Amino acid sequence: MNGEVLLEVRGLEKSFGGHKVLRGIHTQIRRGEVVAIIGPSGCGKSTFLRSLNLLETPTGGSVLFEGKEITAPGVDVDEVRQKIGMVFQQFNLFANLTIRDNITLAPVKLGLMGKEEAGRRAMELLERVGLPEKADAYPAMLSGGQKQRIAIARSLAMNPDVMLFDEPTSALDPEMVGEVLGLMRELAKDGMTMVVVTHEMGFAREVASRVLFIDEGVICEENAPEEFFGNPKNQRLREFLSKVL
Amino acid sequence: MQKIIDEFSLNFIEDDRYRYILEGLGNTVLISFLAALVGIALGFLVAIIRSNHDKTGHMKAANAVCRVYLTVVRGTPTMVQLLIIYYVVFASVNVSKVFAAVAAFGLNSGAYVAEIVRSGIMSVDEGQFEAGRSLGLNYRKTMRYIVMPQAFKNVLPALGNEFIVLLKETSISGYIGLTDLTHGGDIIRGITFSAFMPLILVALIYLLMVTVLSYGVNRLERRLRANER
Repeated sequence: MNGEVLLEVRGLEKSFGGHKVLRGIHTQIRRGEVVAIIGPSGCGKSTFLRSLNLLETPTGGSVLFEGKEITAPGVDVDEVRQKIGMVFQQFNLFANLTIRDNITLAPVKLGLMGKEEAGRRAMELLERVGLPEKADAYPAMLSGGQKQRIAIARSLAMNPDVMLFDEPTSALDPEMVGEVLGLMRELAKDGMTMVVVTHEMGFAREVASRVLFIDEGVICEENAPEEFFGNPKNQRLREFLSKVL
Repeated sequence: MQKIIDEFSLNFIEDDRYRYILEGLGNTVLISFLAALVGIALGFLVAIIRSNHDKTGHMKAANAVCRVYLTVVRGTPTMVQLLIIYYVVFASVNVSKVFAAVAAFGLNSGAYVAEIVRSGIMSVDEGQFEAGRSLGLNYRKTMRYIVMPQAFKNVLPALGNEFIVLLKETSISGYIGLTDLTHGGDIIRGITFSAFMPLILVALIYLLMVTVLSYGVNRLERRLRANER
């Protein structure tokens, strides 16, 4: 736990209309960490995750990425997002593009790579996620698990410093959960910094270096997984775990 | 049989009367084509402004102008718009009737194209937009490479329909004394006092053009859809 601080969240608040979803979240995410976020539905965990790359604009507090306050006015959000990958529950592959173009679009259009170089990199990534034969397919032809692996490859193509996962297996059929979690496990082993909102307690326990429990818009408990699951202190966390485990 | 041949000869052959049809057809095609271009350009512009405003809250003034435009165009008859453009807006400038018609039908079509395209943009799943933004693509690039191609595909049938309506609607051009296909046929009727042949021919020509247009739209639609299955 001695990597540099990649993401720092200070007193983060978010309201939708009069409804306060996040009520002051404080935490730090260091390089190489795998942070799992769990909590009951509607507790604000997805909103928290989406605030980290400003898909949601916080209504209070601040987020610092690599030491720079990205919630400050005038910050180029697009530049920040290039370094923060995101994987969605619903995959959100670009329906109008082939798998290869899904992966190369951002690096090419942002001028980070030439088309050929990006194409080669896309094939490397497709090898890595085990789907090289799908390069010329369209998203609609793939299964949910395949789509999510492609979504991860698309995210990796930007060489992000940290990756956010928003319930990456919740929209999958049970038999496909394993392939996606397996890939995430490999990423974690390779040292990728990951923040994962999940309902997969097994994944949180085995892969995460730290687990956060969010309820009613605040972090109620955060700890290493052994302690978190073995000896939960917070009353609501105990109730939550007794229901899901 | 002889009677039909005589009728045909009277209406189209004598004094080269077919020329009215040809001239009218030329004008109808020209006006429809140019007005469609104006309509597409204007429609996409308005749709982009409107959806940008809806998504980001920017461009308040431009959005207000667009809304007035949409309300006025959709709330008044096309024929009144055509008459106003020709007799009021261009009253003191000497412009050709074709130009006035293109302006009127283009302005008119733009409003309908705008709402069609806007509905197309809204029909694209928000997740597509978020995925683009999460990779670091800005609003404009995300719209251009991800949202608009899908929106266009979704609204292609409705757009095709709009251009069919536009083509048929140009038949009111006669009201500003312009010889379009309809007016051309009607001139023949006025000369020969024979209504059947010229009007039926005019109708057949419209039908043929609309059929070809629908066929083209269908093919384009199928080609764009092919890559999704």
